[in-house]
Amino acid sequence: MSRAGQALRTSYLVASVAGVLFFVLSVALLGVWPARLLEEQTAAMAPEKPLEPTTSEKRGRAIYAREGCAYCHTQQIRYLHADMARFGAPTLAWETRRDTPHLWGTRRIGPDLSRVGGTRSLDWQYAHLYAPRAIVASSVMPGYPALFDGAADRPRQDARDLVAYLDSLGRARELAGPEGEARAREGCNCPDDEMQRMAFEGPLNTHPARAIRTREAAPALAGGDLERGQALYGRHCATCHGATGAGDGPGARSLVPAPAKLAEHVYTTERLADVMWHGVAGSAMPAWRDYSTEDRAALAVAVQTLSAPRPEPEVPAHLVALGREVYAANCVQCHGANGDGRGSAADKLTMAPANFTVQRLSLTEAVRVLREGIHGSPMAPWTTRLTDAERLAAAHYVRSLFRTTASTAEAR
Amino acid sequence: MSVAFGLVAAWQLIAPDLGRDVAWLGWGRVRYAHTQGIMLGWLANAFFAFLYHAVPILTGRPVTSARLGVWVFALWNFAVMAPGWVLVLAGVSQPLEWAEFPLVVDVVAILALALAGVQFLPGFFRRGVESLYVSSWYIIGGLVFTLLSYPMGNVVPEFLPGAAGAAISGLWIHDAVGLFVTPMALAILYFVIPASTGRPVFSHFLSMLGFWLLFFLYPLNGTHHYVYSVIPMAAQLTAIVASALLGVTVVIVVTNLFLSMRGAGLLPRDPALRFVGTGTFFYVIVSLQGSAQAQMAVNQTVHFTDWVVAHSHMAMLGFASFAAAGGLVHAWQRMPEARYNAAAITWAYWMLVIGLVGMVVDLTIGGLVQGELWKSGAPWIDSVTASRVYWVARAHIGSILAAGFIALLVGLTTGPRGAGMSVRPAPTADGHDEVAARLAPATEAL
Repeated sequence: MSRAGQALRTSYLVASVAGVLFFVLSVALLGVWPARLLEEQTAAMAPEKPLEPTTSEKRGRAIYAREGCAYCHTQQIRYLHADMARFGAPTLAWETRRDTPHLWGTRRIGPDLSRVGGTRSLDWQYAHLYAPRAIVASSVMPGYPALFDGAADRPRQDARDLVAYLDSLGRARELAGPEGEARAREGCNCPDDEMQRMAFEGPLNTHPARAIRTREAAPALAGGDLERGQALYGRHCATCHGATGAGDGPGARSLVPAPAKLAEHVYTTERLADVMWHGVAGSAMPAWRDYSTEDRAALAVAVQTLSAPRPEPEVPAHLVALGREVYAANCVQCHGANGDGRGSAADKLTMAPANFTVQRLSLTEAVRVLREGIHGSPMAPWTTRLTDAERLAAAHYVRSLFRTTASTAEAR
Repeated sequence: MSVAFGLVAAWQLIAPDLGRDVAWLGWGRVRYAHTQGIMLGWLANAFFAFLYHAVPILTGRPVTSARLGVWVFALWNFAVMAPGWVLVLAGVSQPLEWAEFPLVVDVVAILALALAGVQFLPGFFRRGVESLYVSSWYIIGGLVFTLLSYPMGNVVPEFLPGAAGAAISGLWIHDAVGLFVTPMALAILYFVIPASTGRPVFSHFLSMLGFWLLFFLYPLNGTHHYVYSVIPMAAQLTAIVASALLGVTVVIVVTNLFLSMRGAGLLPRDPALRFVGTGTFFYVIVSLQGSAQAQMAVNQTVHFTDWVVAHSHMAMLGFASFAAAGGLVHAWQRMPEARYNAAAITWAYWMLVIGLVGMVVDLTIGGLVQGELWKSGAPWIDSVTASRVYWVARAHIGSILAAGFIALLVGLTTGPRGAGMSVRPAPTADGHDEVAARLAPATEAL
């Protein structure tokens, strides 16, 4: 072989070694080194005794992996304000420490699920998993009836596991509480202040559908466009509340408590503004904070027109006094002396008691609720403790607590 | 098969109840089968087939053993592809992108890759590395580095938690394309162009420069799949810079390839050259797009959207599949016993071009719409309803692509035996030697 050939051979040999070294470098630089750093970070930032997944959640995770859920739903909130505004604080390394193999995903067709735990109610999850379009009309998610025994309210073990897993997402950090956040911040060694701010200073969960139980007022709504509202109602509300507001949409069947029969209620605009902004914690009713003020105002008008004005029944005199008496004896603890839902026991209940000053049930609906209770809520049936006449009187009484406001009158 | 899986997944996005009661037809499982099938079922088989044509010419000696060839074929198709598909559809899989086949299949795949190395590589070393043509280098590099990166990407992340696992996964997502598909496809481009035009490659120096730069830079790209994540920013930045440099490298490679094609015209008469020329074109577009979308300013909008889906289709279909098709057609033209249907191959070319361009344009626009809607704070479902028109278009375009692949299959399995011999340009008395001479590096004379 010539000398030039020899030289070429040597240089190729050097290049080959360099090529392999570059591969090794890539793994070391972009795989091993980050892994070590992330491990240190996890040790420094995780709560001392972080919440471990249950067996059921682990099984659910395997189903999530098997069905390719991660190919439409990411589990990684990026350090970007657009991500944080929609889903919450960026995903920290310690939050994913039990995530083997990882399920970060690279495509978002549906929303990110890193912090979905506690954001949707379990019955919503079951109903949605069984038949997504029965809940979200324009969803493109496949249904998973194989995980159920023929109906959304008959989940098999697999569905229970999967929903348990979904409900655990984001939980570890949420339950770590302020102490956990403080420890994480201390151990963070964040590369710069901006990342530190992003990681710790915003709200942990910003999901616009997460129901919040609060007495804070929602942004006021006024002057909604009926036509727009009706279109929005058809797209987003009819699946549960039914096209006419009878509470009989396809999604209603398995939701507990059942969706409100909007046609049987008169709501003040303030009440509707509150429900759409905060959702109804304890029920499947999500918040709709991601909808514009105009959209929510339009929806309020559309909902108000669902209950056709009916002639108000004359309340027999003897029932007025009886109603007040029954209410004072049985209802005030939860619904409050004024009917504003702020009774002494209210805060201890899983669901806020109805505020009768901002919503008026139709007489038949009020009587029905007193007779049957609201399954899935703290409201019990009152057939054993109250007579028919007492219940009728109470129904009349709670209706009388409604305060007609200008906005309601105008909308009607 | 793989295209059919893709088509089913595309239709399920516009008719989501399709296959509702059939567990193995669940969207996620079909999606797993689609990408693994395209990479390992279609591209890998096509590459191996091409190697049987190219390696003897490049090395001047036959491959190691015919019996070994039967083993590699059988292992790859009956112990990797078939069980891999059956298992992911049955629900036994890894939720790792481009690595969905379960561990048991991975083990066989690694064994088969090692045997493929034994089958194809020894000849190159016997010939002497100082006189290897660039295609030979790509074949050596592709096989050796895939053997390194396959276990890294398919096995390691299965056992690493969260962010650390994602970091390795990200490397593999890029290595699968960069260290397996790209070298094999470039080996074909560098082989077919000189063989078909009848002129040696424009610059052996540029070809080797491009080769080494690609192998240095490709592995450093992977972390760009997780920009703005908790993975250390230093690693993210390394990948972002490497992505930009990779774009420069690809321009060098593609310039060399186009200069080698000069005079062949925009639409060469040889269908093999037409396929590889178009593949070269898509290669430079997809690489520059990749360099751009790795940059933080672009990435924050397009990441997670259909833009990226368009990008991967341009890579695996526009670049790799066009190269593979060109390589197969080229080899078929040189086999007297091979059936060859020229009309079907022409149809295949046009349907694949139209389908690919349509899909890329469609999904790129769709991705931008999704990205902008997400940033605007509009309700999530708005981005789903806004996507529908693009998904409907994509599902229909998918049918054109499926038809294109069927036409390619028809083109290579029907028609008179040896018909390709007449299509083949610049016929010479002794085809192999003639081709081999054109593929010899300039250093042959040393």
